[in-house]
Amino acid sequence: MFTSVDRRLPGDLAMWFFILAELSVFAILILAFAVTQTLRPEVFAEGRAQLDTSTGLAMTLSLLTAGLLAALAQQQALADRSRRAAGLLVLGLLVALVYVWIKLSEYGHLAAAGLGLEHSTFFTLYWILTGFHFLHVLLGMVILAWLALRCWRGAYGPGRQSGMESGVLYWHMVDLVWVVLFPLVYVL
Amino acid sequence: MRLLACWVALVLLSVGTVMSGAAGWWWAVVLAAVAKAWVIADGFMELRHAPLGWRAAMLAWPVVLVAGIVVMR
Repeated sequence: MFTSVDRRLPGDLAMWFFILAELSVFAILILAFAVTQTLRPEVFAEGRAQLDTSTGLAMTLSLLTAGLLAALAQQQALADRSRRAAGLLVLGLLVALVYVWIKLSEYGHLAAAGLGLEHSTFFTLYWILTGFHFLHVLLGMVILAWLALRCWRGAYGPGRQSGMESGVLYWHMVDLVWVVLFPLVYVL
Repeated sequence: MRLLACWVALVLLSVGTVMSGAAGWWWAVVLAAVAKAWVIADGFMELRHAPLGWRAAMLAWPVVLVAGIVVMR
């Protein structure tokens, strides 16, 4: 006996179109980075040697852990445990702050070493690509903070989850971009 | 439990990315990138129960990008 599967898109449809638009912009930037690397491999090898892969890994783990906490918060809100959801979101924010701290330290270190936007093609694209992503992380943190506040006030629960799902989806989009960006910029 | 399993997979794949990069296994690095993107899309974003078109679009994004990166190597 066949049963129909109830397929459902989480969050608002508008958020999905926004995510598609964002992913398209990031795709252009990432491919621009890859094309330029093909044209100037020695410049990219030299530039990448200035980056610390373990720092990149630490940032990856921070973003992914914040994503896990946001997803767990969404589950708690769905189960009508708003306060617990708010706590998980605040914890996610704190974990995301680790990424911000590491990224700012890396930026400071590179800037102090004279490896700014105009140093080489690698660093021009590095600053544009990672800086654009960094801004998205900051916006994502504002969204998580807003969701935490709304959860604390009991705004989300069974049947009124769409806003929270959309906000959490934005954070996952930031993670999605980073898992492609990290190996390209730091490892390959 | 499922979310935790996704997170563990993502952590292991991330560590694997760095180790593969150090060993010069670029193909493992790009495969891990696609796998991580799929875990995020299907696990965290819950697209495994979404309409097929949306799921296909999100799963195709890392594949297209990584294919582009590989072709240009």
